[in-house]
Amino acid sequence: MKTRVRELRGERGWSQAELAERLGVSRQTVNSIETERYEPSLSLAFRIAGVFGATLESIFQPDVNASRE
Amino acid sequence: MARRSLRSLNPLLLWGFVLWAVTYIGARLAIDHGWGGSGGGKVLLALVPLPFFLAWLTGLVREFTRMDELQRRIQFEALGIAFPLTLVLVMTLGLVEAARPLDPDNWSFRHVWQLLVLFYVVGLFVARRRYRYDA
Repeated sequence: MKTRVRELRGERGWSQAELAERLGVSRQTVNSIETERYEPSLSLAFRIAGVFGATLESIFQPDVNASRE
Repeated sequence: MARRSLRSLNPLLLWGFVLWAVTYIGARLAIDHGWGGSGGGKVLLALVPLPFFLAWLTGLVREFTRMDELQRRIQFEALGIAFPLTLVLVMTLGLVEAARPLDPDNWSFRHVWQLLVLFYVVGLFVARRRYRYDA
């Protein structure tokens, strides 16, 4: 899954720790989502969308290459 | 689990473990030195660490509820690695023991728990590495 979390966080000038605090998760979780090592649960994805004031599909997109494999 | 100072650690987790370890070692030494009289006293000595272990376990469960979803996943993957390794160890020991009696001082199931801890640490290392911090 492709994510724009890092891009959106950068636009707001937030650190990973600051975003983690807003989401109520660890900085490692934010980092793993940004580096696409970890796909968040639906409830966390909704929280992320809420924090950025964006829709889920504008933040997370399916990885087309991965789904073809 | 995020790195935290000892002061912020759940007291049940910290003190439960410390007291369990101290009473476990104490009970072991006492039993090995023949304290506790006959069988009943020794069994009582063997049960002394149990309440502290249960306190530690309660702290551990509380710690799990404080974890976020990635931290829980790391624990799950660590156990997912440790469990099959444990299964292989126990089954292999069982087979070898069926083939020839094992030295109870070195290969008794009393000693297997040390390897279980090692397997969990290996699993934790592998799982943490998968989600390691990258700038």
